[in-house]
Amino acid sequence: MPSSDMSFDPSFAVAVDIGGTFTDISLLDRTSGTVWRAKTASVPSDPSQAFMAGVNMVLEDAGIHASDVSRVLHGTTVATNMILEGKGARTALVTTRGFRHVLEIGRQDIPRHANLFTWVKPARPVPADRIHEVDERIGTGGHVLDSLDEDSVAAVAGRLDAQDVEAVAICLLHAYANPSHEKRVAQLLRAALPDIAITCSTDVLPVVREFERSLATVLNANVMPGVSTYISRLENRLTDAKASSPLLLMQSNGGVAGTEAIRTAPALTALSGPAAGVVGAVDAAAACGITDIITVDIGGTSADICLIREGEIHLTQQGKVGEWPLSLPMVDMVTIGAGGGSIAAVTNNTLSVGPKSAGARPGPAAYGHGGTEATVTDAHVTLGTLPQSLLGGAMTLDVEAARAAVTGKVARPLGLTPQDAAQGILAIMNNNMVGAVRTVSVERGHDPRDFTLVPFGGAGPLHGCALAELLGIRQVMIPAAPGLLCAAGLLAADMRAEFTRALPSPGAINQAQGDSIVADLTKDATAWMDHEGIAHDHRVLRARAMLRFNGQGGEIAVDWADTPEETEARFHEAHTSLYGFVLDAPIELVTLRIEATGKTEPVDSPALAKVELPDALQTQKVRWPGGIAETPVYDRAALGADTKINGPAILTQLDTTALIAPGWIATVHPSGALLLTKEST
Amino acid sequence: MNKPSRLSQGTLCDPVSLEIIRGAIAAAQSEMEALIERTAISAFIREKKDFYTALFDGNGTMAVGSMVPIFGDMTRPVLEKFPIETMQDGDVYWYNDCYGSYGAISHSNDQVLLAPVFREGRVCAFVMSWAHFADIGGLRPGSISPDATDIFQEGVMIPVTKMIEAGCVNQAVLDIFHRNSRYPEQSEGDMRALMASVELGVRRVGEILDRFGPDVTEDALAQLLTRTRDLVREKMAETFDYGTYSFTDAIDTDGHGNGPFHMRFSLTREKGSDGNDRFTFDARDSDDQAPGPINYLMNKGVPGMALGLFYLGGDPSQVCNAGGPNALDEVLFRNGSFLQPEYPAPLGLRGLTAMRMISAMCGLLNTGGGEAPAANSAYVVNIMRGKYRTKDGALAPYLLADGIGVGYGARSTADGIDAVYFVAQENYPVEFLEAGYPVTMRCYGIVADSGGAGRHRGGCGIVREYEILAEETMVAMRIDSVKNPPWGIHGGKSGRHGVAIVNPGTPEELRLDPLSDGNMLKRGDVLRIETGGGGGYGHPFDRPAETVLQDVLGGFVTVDAARREYGVAINDESIDAETTSALRAARPETSRFYRQEYVDALV
Repeated sequence: MPSSDMSFDPSFAVAVDIGGTFTDISLLDRTSGTVWRAKTASVPSDPSQAFMAGVNMVLEDAGIHASDVSRVLHGTTVATNMILEGKGARTALVTTRGFRHVLEIGRQDIPRHANLFTWVKPARPVPADRIHEVDERIGTGGHVLDSLDEDSVAAVAGRLDAQDVEAVAICLLHAYANPSHEKRVAQLLRAALPDIAITCSTDVLPVVREFERSLATVLNANVMPGVSTYISRLENRLTDAKASSPLLLMQSNGGVAGTEAIRTAPALTALSGPAAGVVGAVDAAAACGITDIITVDIGGTSADICLIREGEIHLTQQGKVGEWPLSLPMVDMVTIGAGGGSIAAVTNNTLSVGPKSAGARPGPAAYGHGGTEATVTDAHVTLGTLPQSLLGGAMTLDVEAARAAVTGKVARPLGLTPQDAAQGILAIMNNNMVGAVRTVSVERGHDPRDFTLVPFGGAGPLHGCALAELLGIRQVMIPAAPGLLCAAGLLAADMRAEFTRALPSPGAINQAQGDSIVADLTKDATAWMDHEGIAHDHRVLRARAMLRFNGQGGEIAVDWADTPEETEARFHEAHTSLYGFVLDAPIELVTLRIEATGKTEPVDSPALAKVELPDALQTQKVRWPGGIAETPVYDRAALGADTKINGPAILTQLDTTALIAPGWIATVHPSGALLLTKEST
Repeated sequence: MNKPSRLSQGTLCDPVSLEIIRGAIAAAQSEMEALIERTAISAFIREKKDFYTALFDGNGTMAVGSMVPIFGDMTRPVLEKFPIETMQDGDVYWYNDCYGSYGAISHSNDQVLLAPVFREGRVCAFVMSWAHFADIGGLRPGSISPDATDIFQEGVMIPVTKMIEAGCVNQAVLDIFHRNSRYPEQSEGDMRALMASVELGVRRVGEILDRFGPDVTEDALAQLLTRTRDLVREKMAETFDYGTYSFTDAIDTDGHGNGPFHMRFSLTREKGSDGNDRFTFDARDSDDQAPGPINYLMNKGVPGMALGLFYLGGDPSQVCNAGGPNALDEVLFRNGSFLQPEYPAPLGLRGLTAMRMISAMCGLLNTGGGEAPAANSAYVVNIMRGKYRTKDGALAPYLLADGIGVGYGARSTADGIDAVYFVAQENYPVEFLEAGYPVTMRCYGIVADSGGAGRHRGGCGIVREYEILAEETMVAMRIDSVKNPPWGIHGGKSGRHGVAIVNPGTPEELRLDPLSDGNMLKRGDVLRIETGGGGGYGHPFDRPAETVLQDVLGGFVTVDAARREYGVAINDESIDAETTSALRAARPETSRFYRQEYVDALV
C-alpha cells in the first residue's frame, strides 16, 4: 500500500487504455513533457497480457524500468462491455418479501418520448426467476418493522446454489436508511456461498427509490466478478514486473481512483474508457485554443459522441448505460454500435452495418486472423483509403481477404461492384454516426456547424472529413495521437471521489448535525486521499449540500456554509438563476457530499519544430466518393509545425490513419494536432 | 395577419435547418419538462409526472406536441376570447374550463398555461405547459370523486384568463384560486413551476426565432404539420378501403348504478367531389351522457391525435402534432352523448373513458384491416384521504392519489406491456410513499394470469397491498373493464379484470365496488388492489412452450393457466413435452375478437 508521504507528481506516469481491438499505451516524463507511445492488439481472453506487453514496449523505448514508474493509469471497457453485451456474471437479486417484481415494473411508465402503441419494455438484466425474497422489513426512517428471518436467507442460499449464479445483488427496502439487514444477508450468503460475488445496494447507491437502487446494484453485481478478477490480474502482472506504483482506474466521471474503490463499486467504471477519451480531447483542443468541440471516438465496436462547450465536460446523474438508467455521475455522451469492426450484412436485400462487430478476434477479414465477415475496415481497404500496413509496419493488411469479404458478403448479394459496395458500407456507417451527433447537438439545441469536430480513436480520423461534410462542419481537429487519446486523457485526469450521505430524514438545516456529517465525510475523504497517496498541496475538498424547497422532487447542490442562512442564500441564488424564481417555502437539506479531488498539474509538451513538407512515402489509387484519384501517403511523424497539405492525402501514423478528403486543407499546429478546413469553393 | 403562405411552403426552410429547428424545439420541450419536474411541489406532478408541454405556430396550430392522444385544440379557446392582435409580449393565459374550452382539457384538475412568443412585433408561436393539480376544491379532497353529479363538485373553474399581462401578474386571480385548494402551498408551488416553465419556453423559442428568423421558422412548423398530416392520410388509406368500418367498446358503469356505456365509432372513407379521399370519424351513436363522472368531453382533435400517434409508430423522425387531427376531414359527435355531454355534467373520471377510447380506436383499426394492438386495461386510481396522528398526537389530514399501472394489449410483433400506467406517468416508489403517507406497502408485484393468453401475451396488471396507518381513511376506487374486459384479437383472449379487496383472507374480507367512493377504512385495515391485464394477440397454442415456461418461472403465468390456456404442461419447473404435444393437438377454434367468448366482430 502506498504511503501518504509519497511524492505525488511522479516523474514517470504510464497510461494504458484497453479497447476492444487495440491496447494503447503512453508513457509521460513529467519533467520534460516527453511522451512515448505504443499500440498493440488487445487480447480479449486476457486483456492483462496486452496491458503488460504494451507497458514493457514503452519502458523499453524510454530506457527505464518498471520500478521508475510511480503512477499506472488505466481506462477499461471491461464493465461497459459486460453490461452492453449482457455478458456479465449470471446474477441474482435478493429483495424484501412481497417485492420480487419491483425491477420488472420499473417506474410503471411508458417513457415520455416513446410511442404507446409500439414501445416494448426492455428485458431486465436479471430475469424474474432469479429474484428471491427474504422475510424482513425495514420501514421509513430505518425502523425495523420485521426482523430478518435468517431461515429465509438460508432457503434463498439454497436456491442461488441450485441456479448456479455467479453474483448476487442485495437490495432491501429502505436499506439506505438502515443497512443492517442488507449487511447481515450479505454476511450469511458469503458464508454459505464463498465463491460468489455479493454486493449490497448501500455500497453502490445509498439513496431512496427502490427501482433505481435495485438496478444500480444489479448492474454492479453483474460486472463485479469480471472486474475484480481483471484488476487482480493486472496487479499481479505489475507486481511480477517489480512495479510498485499504485494502479489507478478511470471512472465514468472523468476522474481516476484506486483499485479498492473500484472493487467495491465497479459500476463506477461503466464509462471509464470513453470518459478518458473525452478528457484527452478537451486537453488536446485546449492546446490549440479551441473550446467548443464535438468528439467522435470511433473504436473497433462502438462510437462515443460527446459535445463540449467552453471546455467544460458536462456530467450527468441521469446517465444511461445501454437501456438502463444508472444514477452515478458520468460524462454526458451518446454511444452507438458503430466501429471499424462493425459487420456489414445484407438481409432482405437491405444493407445494414453494425451493431454486431468482428471485435479483435477474428477481427476484420483484412487482419488475416480468419475473419470472413465484411467490416467497415475491410471497406476502407477495398477502397484504398487504408494503406497496406498498420502500427508502423507491425501489422500488414490482407487486401485480398478484405476484397473477398466485401465481394462475397455485400457486393454479390446486392449486385454491386466491390467498390460500390464498400462505399455503401461507409455511407451507412457515416449516416449512423451523423444521427448520434445530431442527438448531442441539434436535439439539445446546438448547431453542429458552430463546433470543431474532433475525431479520434483508431478509426475516427478515417471518417472526420466525411462526417464534417454531412454535418456542414467547417473545421476538423485531429489530435497528435488520435488512437491514443484515451491514454493521453488518463495522464491529464485528476483523481476524484465523491463521499455522500443522505440525512436520516430531509428537513430544515441543522448546522451542528450537518457539520458533524461533513466532518465524518471529510474523514472518509481524507482517508481515501491518504490511501491514494495524494500530496497535501494537491488536495481539493469541497463540501456540497443538496437542498430543495419542501416537497420538491429535485435538489440543487450548493457549497455548504458556516451558517444555515448563508447556505440557504446560496440555494435561493442558484434556484433563481436556474429556474427564474424562488418560493416562500421552507428549505430542506437532503444530502451532504464531499467532492475530493487530487489535482494533476498540467505538463507543457515541447512544441513541434518547423520542417519542409517531406516527400510522400508512396502514392496509391483511392476510390473517393467523387471518383478515383492517385493519392499521396505521408508519414505524419515527419511533419513539422505549420506544414500545409492539400487533400486528397493519407497520413499514416503508429496509432491511426487520417484521411484528408479532396477539397480539404490540413495545417499542422505546433502542438502536433492537425487542423483541417474545407477549401472555399 | 400572419397566415403562412401555403404556396411558399418548403421554399424557405431547407431540410437541414428543418431538422435543427425540430431538434431545438424538442430540446426546449425537454428543458421545460425538466424544470416542472424539478421545481413542482405536489407529488402528483414531481413524482407521478402528470404534466405535458407543446409548441404551436403563430396561428395556434399545434406543431410539436407530446406523445399522448389526449390533447385537443388548446389555443382556440384563448384566441376566441383574446384575439391575437390584442396580445402583448409577456402575456400568459390560463384556463381549466372544460366546457369553455370545448374539451381541450377534459377535467378541471388540469391547468393549462399558454404564452405567445413575439418577434418583429407579431406573434410567431405559442408555448404551453399543462399539469394536473392535486386539489382545486370540490366535493372531496383530490377534487375527483365517483360520487360527483355535476362539474361544480369537481373544483373551481377558471375560464380563459389573462394571468399575466405584459409581464404584470394578476395576483388576485391566483390568490382566489389557491384559496380554493385544500392544499394551497402545493397549488402555489406547482403554479410557480408552470409559470417558470412557460417563461423558459418563451425564451428558448425566441432564441430559435432569432437564429432562423420568423419566416423560416414558420415555414419549418408548417412543414412539420404537413409531413405528419400526409403520412397519416397515406397510412389511413392503406388500412381502410373505401366504405364504412365500425367498432363498439364499452365502459361498465358511471358509479351511480347506470351502464354499460357504449362508445360506437365508425370511420368512412369515400371519394370527395374534388377527387380526393374524404375521411369521416363518427361517434354519434354512442350512448347518452351519464349522471356520474365518467363523461368524456372529447375534443374534435382527439380521434385524429390517436390515429396520428398510432401511424407515427416509433419513428423518431416524425412529430406528433395537429397533422393527425388535420388528417380527418370531418369529426362528428352528438351533443348529450357521454362523449359530448351537456354542461354541467361531471367529468372527473374521464380518464377511464379515455383509456377505453384508445382501445376502441385500436378496434376500429383492426376492423379496417390494420395491425393495431389488442385492448388495454384502463389504469386504476386509488384515492385515499383521511386523518392520521402525527408524532405529537395531533390529527392531520392527508391525500394520496395513487395511480396504479395495468396491462396493455398485445401486438402482432410483441407482448403487451406489463405493468404500466400511461405515457410519462410514473409510480410512487414504495420508499417515497411510506415516507410521505400513513401507509405501509405489504406487497407490490405482478398479478399472474392477468394478461390475456395469446401467441403474444397481453400485459399483466399490478398488485399493491396497503396497510392503513391513518386513524380514518375514505377510499375512492376507480377500476373499470370488470364486465367488459379488454378484448383479445386473432385468437388472443381477454385480459383479466381488476379487483379491490379489504382485509383479504380474513372473516371481514370485503370486496369494494370497482367504481365507488365513501369506502371507510380504519387503522390496521389492509387494502389489496389487483389491476387488470391487456388482451392477447394470436392463438395461445402458438406461443412457444419455452416462453410459457419463462412466464411461469417469472410469476406472470401460473402452472394451471399454462396448461389450461396455452396447452403447456409444466412439472418441476420444466416442460413435459409429451403431455404438451398431446394437449396442443386439441387446438380450440378461434374467431377474430375475444371478449368472454370468441366473436367475429364487436359492434
